[in-house]
Amino acid sequence: MRSIGVAAWAFCLAMPGLAAGLPEDAALDRSADIKTLVPRVVVNSGRLEWEPHKRDLSAWPTLSHLDRRATIRPQQAAYSAPLNGDAARGRAIAMDPARGNCIACHTLPGEDWPGSVGHLLLGYKRQGHADAYVYQQIYDRRVLNPNTVMPPFGAFGVLSDQDIRDLVAYVQSLD
Amino acid sequence: MKIRIILLFTLCAGLACAQENAVYRDMDLPVEQYEPHVRGDMTLSKTYPYWKDRNKLDWRLAGNPEENWKLNWKFMDPPFNNTVHGGHFALDRGESLYKSLNRDGRFAACLGATSGRLKGLRTRYPMYRKDLRRVAGLEAVIEHCASAQGEVLQHGSYDNSAVSLYLASLSQGMPMRIDVSKGPMREAFERGRQLFHTKAGRLNFACSSCHTRNVGQLVRGSHITTPYGDVAHYPVYRTQYRLQSLHLRMMECNLDAGVQPLMPGSQSYTDLEVFLSALSNGYTVSVPAERN
Ligand code: HEC
Ligand code: HEC
Repeated sequence: MRSIGVAAWAFCLAMPGLAAGLPEDAALDRSADIKTLVPRVVVNSGRLEWEPHKRDLSAWPTLSHLDRRATIRPQQAAYSAPLNGDAARGRAIAMDPARGNCIACHTLPGEDWPGSVGHLLLGYKRQGHADAYVYQQIYDRRVLNPNTVMPPFGAFGVLSDQDIRDLVAYVQSLD
Repeated sequence: MKIRIILLFTLCAGLACAQENAVYRDMDLPVEQYEPHVRGDMTLSKTYPYWKDRNKLDWRLAGNPEENWKLNWKFMDPPFNNTVHGGHFALDRGESLYKSLNRDGRFAACLGATSGRLKGLRTRYPMYRKDLRRVAGLEAVIEHCASAQGEVLQHGSYDNSAVSLYLASLSQGMPMRIDVSKGPMREAFERGRQLFHTKAGRLNFACSSCHTRNVGQLVRGSHITTPYGDVAHYPVYRTQYRLQSLHLRMMECNLDAGVQPLMPGSQSYTDLEVFLSALSNGYTVSVPAERN
Protein backbone atom coordinates (compact mmCIF):
# COMPACT_ATOMS: atom_id res chain seq x y z
CA MET A 1 0.00 0.00 0.00
CA ARG A 2 2.76 2.33 0.95
CA SER A 3 4.69 1.71 -2.25
CA ILE A 4 1.53 2.40 -4.24
CA GLY A 5 1.21 5.70 -2.41
CA VAL A 6 4.78 6.62 -3.25
CA ALA A 7 4.27 5.57 -6.86
CA ALA A 8 1.17 7.72 -7.06
CA TRP A 9 3.04 10.66 -5.65
CA ALA A 10 5.83 10.20 -8.17
CA PHE A 11 3.18 10.02 -10.89
CA CYS A 12 1.82 13.42 -9.81
CA LEU A 13 5.28 14.94 -9.95
CA ALA A 14 5.88 13.50 -13.37
CA MET A 15 2.81 15.14 -14.88
CA PRO A 16 4.09 17.71 -17.39
CA GLY A 17 3.78 21.32 -16.37
CA LEU A 18 2.61 20.46 -12.89
CA ALA A 19 6.10 19.68 -11.65
CA ALA A 20 7.18 23.27 -12.22
CA GLY A 21 3.98 24.32 -10.48
CA LEU A 22 2.84 26.77 -13.15
CA PRO A 23 -0.78 25.73 -13.64
CA GLU A 24 -1.87 24.45 -17.05
CA ASP A 25 -4.95 26.67 -17.08
CA ALA A 26 -3.21 30.02 -16.51
CA ALA A 27 -3.26 32.61 -19.30
CA LEU A 28 0.46 32.46 -20.07
CA ASP A 29 2.95 32.61 -22.87
CA ARG A 30 5.56 30.33 -21.35
CA SER A 31 8.31 31.32 -23.76
CA ALA A 32 8.02 35.10 -23.33
CA ASP A 33 9.81 37.38 -20.86
CA ILE A 34 6.50 38.76 -19.68
CA LYS A 35 4.49 35.56 -19.50
CA THR A 36 1.21 37.02 -18.25
CA LEU A 37 -1.34 37.53 -21.03
CA VAL A 38 -4.28 39.92 -21.31
CA PRO A 39 -7.22 38.95 -23.54
CA ARG A 40 -8.27 41.24 -26.34
CA VAL A 41 -11.79 40.89 -27.67
CA VAL A 42 -11.97 41.28 -31.45
CA VAL A 43 -15.33 42.42 -32.80
CA ASN A 44 -17.08 39.87 -35.05
CA SER A 45 -14.55 37.13 -34.36
CA GLY A 46 -14.84 33.70 -32.75
CA ARG A 47 -11.30 33.89 -31.43
CA LEU A 48 -9.67 35.85 -28.64
CA GLU A 49 -6.40 37.63 -29.18
CA TRP A 50 -3.73 38.00 -26.52
CA GLU A 51 -1.28 40.70 -25.54
CA PRO A 52 1.45 40.70 -22.91
CA HIS A 53 0.45 42.34 -19.62
CA LYS A 54 2.47 45.35 -18.42
CA ARG A 55 4.14 43.19 -15.78
CA ASP A 56 4.73 39.50 -15.29
CA LEU A 57 2.51 38.02 -12.57
CA SER A 58 3.31 34.35 -13.11
CA ALA A 59 5.68 34.12 -10.13
CA TRP A 60 2.91 34.38 -7.51
CA PRO A 61 0.21 31.84 -6.65
CA THR A 62 -2.98 31.88 -8.76
CA LEU A 63 -6.53 30.73 -8.03
CA SER A 64 -6.08 27.59 -10.14
CA HIS A 65 -6.87 24.26 -8.51
CA LEU A 66 -3.85 22.96 -10.41
CA ASP A 67 -1.47 25.50 -8.88
CA ARG A 68 0.78 23.52 -6.57
CA ARG A 69 3.06 26.37 -5.53
CA ALA A 70 2.50 27.18 -1.87
CA THR A 71 2.04 30.76 -0.72
CA ILE A 72 5.07 31.98 1.22
CA ARG A 73 4.19 31.70 4.90
CA PRO A 74 4.37 34.68 7.27
CA GLN A 75 8.04 35.53 7.54
CA GLN A 76 10.15 37.24 10.17
CA ALA A 77 12.37 39.87 8.51
CA ALA A 78 16.13 39.72 9.00
CA TYR A 79 16.65 43.43 9.67
CA SER A 80 19.99 44.86 10.69
CA ALA A 81 20.79 48.42 11.80
CA PRO A 82 21.79 51.03 10.72
CA LEU A 83 18.72 51.93 8.66
CA ASN A 84 20.48 53.74 5.81
CA GLY A 85 17.12 54.79 4.37
CA ASP A 86 16.32 57.80 2.18
CA ALA A 87 12.96 59.38 3.08
CA ALA A 88 12.60 61.16 -0.28
CA ARG A 89 13.07 57.92 -2.21
CA GLY A 90 10.67 56.26 0.25
CA ARG A 91 8.02 58.87 -0.48
CA ALA A 92 8.35 58.26 -4.22
CA ILE A 93 7.89 54.51 -3.71
CA ALA A 94 4.87 55.10 -1.48
CA MET A 95 3.17 57.21 -4.18
CA ASP A 96 4.09 55.00 -7.16
CA PRO A 97 1.17 52.73 -8.16
CA ALA A 98 3.62 50.30 -9.75
CA ARG A 99 5.75 49.92 -6.61
CA GLY A 100 4.61 50.51 -3.02
CA ASN A 101 1.28 52.16 -3.80
CA CYS A 102 0.88 52.74 -0.04
CA ILE A 103 -1.29 55.72 -0.97
CA ALA A 104 -4.01 53.33 -2.20
CA CYS A 105 -4.74 52.40 1.42
CA HIS A 106 -3.06 54.97 3.65
CA THR A 107 -3.60 58.65 4.12
CA LEU A 108 -0.27 60.34 3.42
CA PRO A 109 0.54 64.05 3.38
CA GLY A 110 0.45 65.93 0.10
CA GLU A 111 -2.06 63.76 -1.73
CA ASP A 112 -5.61 64.83 -2.44
CA TRP A 113 -6.97 61.34 -3.15
CA PRO A 114 -6.04 59.38 -0.06
CA GLY A 115 -7.11 55.82 0.58
CA SER A 116 -9.17 54.93 3.58
CA VAL A 117 -8.60 51.21 4.22
CA GLY A 118 -5.39 51.33 6.22
CA HIS A 119 -4.40 53.17 9.34
CA LEU A 120 -3.56 56.81 9.30
CA LEU A 121 0.17 57.18 8.88
CA LEU A 122 0.05 60.94 9.48
CA GLY A 123 1.99 61.72 12.65
CA TYR A 124 3.50 58.23 12.65
CA LYS A 125 6.82 59.61 13.90
CA ARG A 126 5.16 60.61 17.17
CA GLN A 127 4.26 56.97 17.91
CA GLY A 128 7.96 56.35 18.48
CA HIS A 129 8.25 52.85 16.99
CA ALA A 130 11.65 51.18 16.55
CA ASP A 131 12.87 50.97 12.95
CA ALA A 132 13.01 47.16 13.18
CA TYR A 133 9.31 47.07 14.10
CA VAL A 134 8.32 49.33 11.21
CA TYR A 135 10.52 47.34 8.84
CA GLN A 136 8.64 44.17 9.82
CA GLN A 137 5.26 45.90 9.19
CA ILE A 138 6.20 46.59 5.59
CA TYR A 139 8.20 43.39 5.07
CA ASP A 140 5.39 41.09 6.24
CA ARG A 141 2.60 42.37 8.46
CA ARG A 142 1.04 38.89 8.65
CA VAL A 143 3.49 38.12 11.46
CA LEU A 144 1.63 40.67 13.61
CA ASN A 145 -1.85 40.23 12.10
CA PRO A 146 -2.40 36.98 10.14
CA ASN A 147 -5.58 38.37 8.53
CA THR A 148 -4.15 41.74 7.45
CA VAL A 149 -5.06 43.17 4.05
CA MET A 150 -1.66 44.83 3.77
CA PRO A 151 0.49 42.98 1.20
CA PRO A 152 3.68 41.26 2.51
CA PHE A 153 5.90 43.46 0.34
CA GLY A 154 9.21 42.01 1.51
CA ALA A 155 8.32 38.33 1.92
CA PHE A 156 6.71 38.29 -1.57
CA GLY A 157 9.68 40.01 -3.21
CA VAL A 158 7.57 42.97 -4.34
CA LEU A 159 9.95 45.50 -2.74
CA SER A 160 13.68 45.14 -2.13
CA ASP A 161 15.47 45.49 1.20
CA GLN A 162 16.62 48.99 0.20
CA ASP A 163 13.08 49.98 -0.88
CA ILE A 164 11.78 48.99 2.54
CA ARG A 165 14.57 50.86 4.34
CA ASP A 166 13.65 53.98 2.33
CA LEU A 167 9.98 53.53 3.25
CA VAL A 168 10.83 53.11 6.94
CA ALA A 169 12.81 56.35 6.78
CA TYR A 170 9.83 58.02 5.08
CA VAL A 171 7.05 56.91 7.47
CA GLN A 172 9.30 57.55 10.47
CA SER A 173 9.61 61.16 9.22
CA LEU A 174 5.84 61.85 9.16
CA ASP A 175 4.92 64.42 11.82
CA MET B 1 -8.62 -8.92 -10.35
CA LYS B 2 -6.32 -6.98 -12.62
CA ILE B 3 -9.02 -4.37 -13.14
CA ARG B 4 -9.43 -4.07 -9.37
CA ILE B 5 -5.75 -3.33 -8.88
CA ILE B 6 -5.80 -0.68 -11.59
CA LEU B 7 -8.88 0.84 -10.01
CA LEU B 8 -7.22 0.88 -6.62
CA PHE B 9 -4.16 2.48 -8.12
CA THR B 10 -6.06 5.27 -9.88
CA LEU B 11 -8.03 5.87 -6.71
CA CYS B 12 -4.84 6.22 -4.66
CA ALA B 13 -3.25 8.36 -7.36
CA GLY B 14 -6.31 10.62 -7.27
CA LEU B 15 -6.12 10.92 -3.50
CA ALA B 16 -2.39 11.56 -3.48
CA CYS B 17 -2.78 14.28 -6.09
CA ALA B 18 -5.62 15.82 -4.12
CA GLN B 19 -3.40 15.90 -1.09
CA GLU B 20 -0.55 17.39 -3.06
CA ASN B 21 -3.00 20.06 -4.22
CA ALA B 22 -3.80 21.18 -0.69
CA VAL B 23 -0.97 23.71 -0.76
CA TYR B 24 -0.75 26.54 1.74
CA ARG B 25 -2.87 29.63 1.02
CA ASP B 26 -3.81 32.62 3.13
CA MET B 27 -7.57 32.96 3.46
CA ASP B 28 -9.54 36.15 4.00
CA LEU B 29 -11.26 35.07 7.21
CA PRO B 30 -13.94 34.39 8.15
CA VAL B 31 -15.18 32.72 4.96
CA GLU B 32 -18.72 34.10 4.99
CA GLN B 33 -21.75 31.85 4.44
CA TYR B 34 -23.46 33.69 1.52
CA GLU B 35 -27.08 32.87 0.82
CA PRO B 36 -27.62 31.42 -2.68
CA HIS B 37 -30.21 34.10 -3.39
CA VAL B 38 -29.90 37.79 -4.25
CA ARG B 39 -31.64 38.86 -1.02
CA GLY B 40 -28.53 37.61 0.84
CA ASP B 41 -27.14 41.10 0.22
CA MET B 42 -29.27 42.23 3.15
CA THR B 43 -26.62 40.76 5.45
CA LEU B 44 -23.71 42.10 3.36
CA SER B 45 -23.85 45.56 1.75
CA LYS B 46 -27.56 46.13 2.51
CA THR B 47 -27.87 48.11 -0.73
CA TYR B 48 -30.38 45.55 -2.10
CA PRO B 49 -33.49 47.70 -1.51
CA TYR B 50 -32.03 50.38 -3.83
CA TRP B 51 -31.64 48.04 -6.81
CA LYS B 52 -34.09 45.24 -6.08
CA ASP B 53 -36.55 46.44 -8.73
CA ARG B 54 -34.89 47.72 -11.90
CA ASN B 55 -38.15 49.39 -12.94
CA LYS B 56 -38.14 51.61 -9.86
CA LEU B 57 -34.58 52.89 -9.55
CA ASP B 58 -34.25 56.26 -7.89
CA TRP B 59 -33.14 58.58 -10.69
CA ARG B 60 -31.84 61.18 -8.22
CA LEU B 61 -29.51 58.59 -6.71
CA ALA B 62 -28.44 57.53 -10.20
CA GLY B 63 -27.46 61.13 -10.96
CA ASN B 64 -25.24 61.44 -7.90
CA PRO B 65 -21.70 60.27 -8.68
CA GLU B 66 -20.80 59.90 -4.97
CA GLU B 67 -23.77 57.70 -4.16
CA ASN B 68 -24.81 55.96 -7.36
CA TRP B 69 -22.74 52.85 -6.62
CA LYS B 70 -25.49 51.97 -4.10
CA LEU B 71 -27.62 51.12 -7.13
CA ASN B 72 -25.07 48.33 -7.85
CA TRP B 73 -24.71 49.99 -11.31
CA LYS B 74 -28.19 48.77 -12.29
CA PHE B 75 -28.89 52.17 -13.83
CA MET B 76 -26.64 50.96 -16.65
CA ASP B 77 -28.97 48.01 -17.37
CA PRO B 78 -32.19 48.31 -19.33
CA PRO B 79 -34.83 49.66 -18.84
CA PHE B 80 -33.21 52.60 -16.95
CA ASN B 81 -30.43 52.71 -19.54
CA ASN B 82 -32.27 53.12 -22.83
CA THR B 83 -29.40 54.47 -24.91
CA VAL B 84 -28.24 52.61 -27.99
CA HIS B 85 -24.75 51.19 -27.27
CA GLY B 86 -22.42 48.48 -28.56
CA GLY B 87 -24.38 45.80 -26.71
CA HIS B 88 -27.29 46.23 -29.12
CA PHE B 89 -25.10 45.58 -32.14
CA ALA B 90 -23.66 42.53 -30.39
CA LEU B 91 -27.17 41.26 -29.75
CA ASP B 92 -28.02 41.49 -33.46
CA ARG B 93 -24.80 39.70 -34.33
CA GLY B 94 -25.61 36.99 -31.76
CA GLU B 95 -29.04 36.42 -33.26
CA SER B 96 -27.75 35.94 -36.78
CA LEU B 97 -24.89 33.69 -35.59
CA TYR B 98 -27.37 31.62 -33.64
CA LYS B 99 -29.69 31.26 -36.61
CA SER B 100 -26.94 30.12 -38.92
CA LEU B 101 -25.66 27.62 -36.32
CA ASN B 102 -29.12 26.25 -35.65
CA ARG B 103 -30.35 25.62 -39.20
CA ASP B 104 -31.07 21.98 -38.42
CA GLY B 105 -32.00 22.42 -34.75
CA ARG B 106 -28.95 20.52 -33.51
CA PHE B 107 -27.38 23.57 -31.87
CA ALA B 108 -30.43 24.36 -29.73
CA ALA B 109 -30.74 20.73 -28.66
CA CYS B 110 -27.07 20.68 -27.70
CA LEU B 111 -27.50 23.86 -25.63
CA GLY B 112 -30.23 22.10 -23.67
CA ALA B 113 -33.37 23.58 -25.22
CA THR B 114 -36.55 21.80 -24.16
CA SER B 115 -38.47 20.93 -27.37
CA GLY B 116 -36.71 23.71 -29.24
CA ARG B 117 -37.60 26.43 -26.72
CA LEU B 118 -34.76 28.60 -25.44
CA LYS B 119 -36.85 30.78 -23.17
CA GLY B 120 -35.52 30.50 -19.61
CA LEU B 121 -32.40 28.60 -20.67
CA ARG B 122 -30.11 31.40 -19.46
CA THR B 123 -31.59 31.31 -15.97
CA ARG B 124 -30.61 27.63 -15.51
CA TYR B 125 -26.89 28.03 -16.31
CA PRO B 126 -24.33 27.08 -15.02
CA MET B 127 -25.61 23.51 -14.70
CA TYR B 128 -24.26 19.98 -14.41
CA ARG B 129 -24.10 18.49 -17.90
CA LYS B 130 -24.25 14.71 -17.82
CA ASP B 131 -22.86 14.46 -21.35
CA LEU B 132 -19.82 16.58 -20.45
CA ARG B 133 -19.59 15.01 -16.99
CA ARG B 134 -18.97 18.40 -15.42
CA VAL B 135 -20.54 21.67 -14.38
CA ALA B 136 -20.47 24.16 -17.24
CA GLY B 137 -21.53 27.75 -17.82
CA LEU B 138 -23.49 28.91 -20.85
CA GLU B 139 -20.44 30.24 -22.72
CA ALA B 140 -18.57 26.96 -22.21
CA VAL B 141 -21.54 25.07 -23.65
CA ILE B 142 -21.81 27.47 -26.60
CA GLU B 143 -18.15 26.80 -27.38
CA HIS B 144 -18.70 23.05 -27.06
CA CYS B 145 -21.83 22.94 -29.23
CA ALA B 146 -20.32 25.15 -31.93
CA SER B 147 -17.22 22.99 -32.10
CA ALA B 148 -19.41 19.88 -32.48
CA GLN B 149 -20.44 21.50 -35.78
CA GLY B 150 -16.90 22.44 -36.73
CA GLU B 151 -17.20 26.12 -35.77
CA VAL B 152 -14.77 27.94 -33.49
CA LEU B 153 -16.49 30.13 -30.89
CA GLN B 154 -13.86 30.46 -28.17
CA HIS B 155 -15.04 31.13 -24.65
CA GLY B 156 -14.69 34.89 -24.14
CA SER B 157 -14.54 35.74 -27.86
CA TYR B 158 -16.89 38.39 -29.20
CA ASP B 159 -18.97 35.92 -31.19
CA ASN B 160 -19.32 33.48 -28.30
CA SER B 161 -20.46 36.29 -26.00
CA ALA B 162 -22.77 37.63 -28.72
CA VAL B 163 -24.58 34.28 -28.91
CA SER B 164 -24.70 34.17 -25.10
CA LEU B 165 -26.17 37.68 -25.07
CA TYR B 166 -28.83 36.67 -27.59
CA LEU B 167 -29.76 33.64 -25.48
CA ALA B 168 -29.92 35.87 -22.38
CA SER B 169 -32.28 38.22 -24.23
CA LEU B 170 -34.70 35.30 -24.64
CA SER B 171 -34.88 35.10 -20.82
CA GLN B 172 -35.35 38.84 -20.40
CA GLY B 173 -37.16 39.61 -17.15
CA MET B 174 -36.95 36.03 -15.84
CA PRO B 175 -35.24 35.43 -12.49
CA MET B 176 -32.01 33.43 -12.32
CA ARG B 177 -32.65 30.05 -10.73
CA ILE B 178 -29.73 27.66 -10.44
CA ASP B 179 -29.91 24.87 -7.91
CA VAL B 180 -26.86 24.56 -5.69
CA SER B 181 -28.53 22.45 -3.02
CA LYS B 182 -27.04 19.11 -4.02
CA GLY B 183 -24.55 17.09 -6.04
CA PRO B 184 -21.85 18.57 -8.27
CA MET B 185 -23.48 22.02 -8.28
CA ARG B 186 -23.34 22.19 -4.52
CA GLU B 187 -19.69 21.14 -4.58
CA ALA B 188 -18.91 23.77 -7.23
CA PHE B 189 -20.66 26.46 -5.16
CA GLU B 190 -18.66 25.47 -2.10
CA ARG B 191 -15.36 25.52 -4.03
CA GLY B 192 -16.35 28.90 -5.48
CA ARG B 193 -17.10 30.27 -2.03
CA GLN B 194 -13.70 29.16 -0.76
CA LEU B 195 -11.96 30.56 -3.87
CA PHE B 196 -13.72 33.89 -3.36
CA HIS B 197 -11.93 34.15 -0.01
CA THR B 198 -8.57 32.74 -1.14
CA LYS B 199 -5.73 35.24 -1.25
CA ALA B 200 -3.49 35.09 -4.30
CA GLY B 201 -1.04 37.02 -6.42
CA ARG B 202 1.59 39.63 -5.91
CA LEU B 203 -0.40 41.53 -3.29
CA ASN B 204 -2.13 38.60 -1.58
CA PHE B 205 -5.68 39.83 -2.21
CA ALA B 206 -8.84 37.72 -2.31
CA CYS B 207 -11.98 38.63 -4.27
CA SER B 208 -13.61 39.13 -0.89
CA SER B 209 -10.85 41.57 0.19
CA CYS B 210 -12.63 44.00 -2.11
CA HIS B 211 -16.17 42.74 -2.79
CA THR B 212 -17.02 41.68 0.77
CA ARG B 213 -14.83 43.71 3.12
CA ASN B 214 -14.59 46.99 1.20
CA VAL B 215 -17.93 47.58 -0.52
CA GLY B 216 -18.30 51.29 -1.27
CA GLN B 217 -14.55 52.01 -1.26
CA LEU B 218 -12.89 53.56 -4.29
CA VAL B 219 -10.51 51.42 -6.33
CA ARG B 220 -9.06 52.85 -9.54
CA GLY B 221 -11.78 55.47 -9.61
CA SER B 222 -14.74 53.09 -9.23
CA HIS B 223 -16.63 52.16 -6.12
CA ILE B 224 -16.59 48.48 -5.20
CA THR B 225 -20.02 46.86 -5.09
CA THR B 226 -21.58 43.75 -3.57
CA PRO B 227 -21.11 40.33 -5.26
CA TYR B 228 -24.89 39.79 -5.06
CA GLY B 229 -26.91 40.32 -8.23
CA ASP B 230 -23.84 40.60 -10.51
CA VAL B 231 -24.50 37.91 -13.07
CA ALA B 232 -27.94 38.63 -14.55
CA HIS B 233 -26.69 41.33 -16.97
CA TYR B 234 -23.82 39.36 -18.55
CA PRO B 235 -22.19 39.41 -21.10
CA VAL B 236 -21.86 43.14 -20.73
CA TYR B 237 -20.84 45.96 -23.07
CA ARG B 238 -17.58 47.66 -22.00
CA THR B 239 -15.75 50.34 -23.91
CA GLN B 240 -12.34 48.74 -23.55
CA TYR B 241 -13.29 45.06 -23.58
CA ARG B 242 -16.11 45.49 -26.12
CA LEU B 243 -18.27 42.58 -25.12
CA GLN B 244 -17.13 41.10 -21.83
CA SER B 245 -18.13 37.66 -20.59
CA LEU B 246 -18.15 36.93 -16.88
CA HIS B 247 -14.90 34.95 -17.11
CA LEU B 248 -13.20 37.90 -18.82
CA ARG B 249 -14.44 40.15 -16.01
CA MET B 250 -12.78 37.79 -13.54
CA MET B 251 -9.57 37.97 -15.58
CA GLU B 252 -9.77 41.77 -15.41
CA CYS B 253 -10.26 41.75 -11.62
CA ASN B 254 -7.37 39.28 -11.28
CA LEU B 255 -5.08 41.50 -13.37
CA ASP B 256 -6.11 44.66 -11.50
CA ALA B 257 -5.34 42.99 -8.18
CA GLY B 258 -1.95 41.62 -9.31
CA VAL B 259 -3.08 38.02 -9.71
CA GLN B 260 -2.02 35.91 -12.70
CA PRO B 261 -5.33 35.32 -14.56
CA LEU B 262 -6.62 31.91 -15.68
CA MET B 263 -8.06 30.87 -19.02
CA PRO B 264 -11.77 31.46 -19.67
CA GLY B 265 -13.50 28.16 -18.96
CA SER B 266 -10.96 27.07 -16.34
CA GLN B 267 -12.43 25.09 -13.47
CA SER B 268 -11.71 27.78 -10.90
CA TYR B 269 -13.53 30.46 -12.91
CA THR B 270 -16.41 28.04 -13.46
CA ASP B 271 -16.61 27.42 -9.70
CA LEU B 272 -16.63 31.18 -9.12
CA GLU B 273 -19.29 31.53 -11.84
CA VAL B 274 -21.49 29.00 -10.02
CA PHE B 275 -20.94 30.86 -6.76
CA LEU B 276 -21.71 34.29 -8.24
CA SER B 277 -24.67 33.01 -10.27
CA ALA B 278 -26.23 31.54 -7.12
CA LEU B 279 -25.83 34.98 -5.50
CA SER B 280 -27.97 36.29 -8.37
CA ASN B 281 -30.75 33.71 -7.89
CA GLY B 282 -34.08 35.50 -7.87
CA TYR B 283 -32.71 38.49 -9.79
CA THR B 284 -34.06 39.10 -13.28
CA VAL B 285 -32.06 38.84 -16.49
CA SER B 286 -31.66 42.25 -18.14
CA VAL B 287 -29.61 42.74 -21.30
CA PRO B 288 -27.93 44.38 -23.12
CA ALA B 289 -26.26 46.22 -20.25
CA GLU B 290 -23.24 48.52 -20.12
CA ARG B 291 -20.58 49.09 -17.50
CA ASN B 292 -17.92 51.80 -17.30
C1 HEC C 1 -4.20 47.06 0.62
C2 HEC C 1 -4.07 48.11 1.56
C3 HEC C 1 -2.69 48.49 2.08
C4 HEC C 1 -1.58 48.83 1.35
C5 HEC C 1 -1.41 48.85 -0.17
C6 HEC C 1 -0.58 49.22 2.31
N1 HEC C 1 -1.07 49.10 3.57
FE1 HEC C 1 -0.07 49.51 5.32
N2 HEC C 1 -1.65 48.83 6.39
C7 HEC C 1 -2.87 48.49 5.87
C8 HEC C 1 -3.77 48.17 6.97
C9 HEC C 1 -5.24 47.78 6.80
C10 HEC C 1 -3.03 48.31 8.17
C11 HEC C 1 -3.47 48.11 9.61
C12 HEC C 1 -4.43 47.04 9.93
C13 HEC C 1 -4.14 45.69 9.36
O1 HEC C 1 -3.03 45.14 9.51
O2 HEC C 1 -5.03 45.14 8.72
C14 HEC C 1 -1.69 48.74 7.75
C15 HEC C 1 -0.67 49.02 8.64
C16 HEC C 1 0.52 49.64 8.29
C17 HEC C 1 1.54 50.06 9.23
C18 HEC C 1 1.49 49.86 10.71
C19 HEC C 1 0.79 50.94 11.44
C20 HEC C 1 0.90 50.64 12.91
O3 HEC C 1 -0.12 50.23 13.48
O4 HEC C 1 1.99 50.77 13.47
C21 HEC C 1 2.53 50.64 8.51
C22 HEC C 1 3.82 51.26 9.03
C23 HEC C 1 2.14 50.58 7.12
N3 HEC C 1 0.92 49.97 7.02
C24 HEC C 1 2.89 51.06 6.07
C25 HEC C 1 2.61 50.83 4.73
C26 HEC C 1 3.50 51.17 3.65
C27 HEC C 1 4.85 51.86 3.80
C28 HEC C 1 2.88 50.76 2.51
C29 HEC C 1 3.41 50.83 1.08
C30 HEC C 1 4.63 50.08 0.85
C31 HEC C 1 1.60 50.18 2.88
N4 HEC C 1 1.47 50.25 4.23
C32 HEC C 1 0.69 49.67 1.97
C33 HEC C 1 -3.23 48.43 4.53
C34 HEC C 1 -2.37 48.67 3.47
C1 HEC D 1 -8.71 45.28 -5.77
C2 HEC D 1 -10.12 45.12 -5.58
C3 HEC D 1 -10.83 43.99 -6.32
C4 HEC D 1 -10.57 42.65 -6.24
C5 HEC D 1 -9.49 41.95 -5.43
C6 HEC D 1 -11.57 42.00 -7.07
N1 HEC D 1 -12.39 42.93 -7.65
FE1 HEC D 1 -14.03 42.53 -8.81
N2 HEC D 1 -14.32 44.53 -9.06
C7 HEC D 1 -13.58 45.54 -8.45
C8 HEC D 1 -14.08 46.82 -8.89
C9 HEC D 1 -13.55 48.19 -8.45
C10 HEC D 1 -15.16 46.55 -9.79
C11 HEC D 1 -16.04 47.56 -10.53
C12 HEC D 1 -17.11 48.09 -9.64
C13 HEC D 1 -18.08 47.02 -9.18
O1 HEC D 1 -18.94 46.62 -9.96
O2 HEC D 1 -17.92 46.52 -8.05
C14 HEC D 1 -15.28 45.09 -9.85
C15 HEC D 1 -16.25 44.43 -10.59
C16 HEC D 1 -16.46 43.06 -10.57
C17 HEC D 1 -17.55 42.39 -11.25
C18 HEC D 1 -18.58 43.05 -12.17
C19 HEC D 1 -19.80 43.54 -11.49
C20 HEC D 1 -20.80 44.09 -12.49
O3 HEC D 1 -21.74 44.75 -12.06
O4 HEC D 1 -20.67 43.85 -13.69
C21 HEC D 1 -17.43 41.06 -10.97
C22 HEC D 1 -18.35 39.94 -11.46
C23 HEC D 1 -16.28 40.90 -10.11
N3 HEC D 1 -15.72 42.14 -9.88
C24 HEC D 1 -15.82 39.69 -9.61
C25 HEC D 1 -14.61 39.55 -8.92
C26 HEC D 1 -14.03 38.26 -8.61
C27 HEC D 1 -14.64 36.91 -8.91
C28 HEC D 1 -12.84 38.52 -7.97
C29 HEC D 1 -11.79 37.53 -7.50
C30 HEC D 1 -11.23 36.71 -8.56
C31 HEC D 1 -12.71 39.97 -7.89
N4 HEC D 1 -13.79 40.55 -8.49
C32 HEC D 1 -11.66 40.63 -7.26
C33 HEC D 1 -12.55 45.37 -7.56
C34 HEC D 1 -11.98 44.16 -7.21
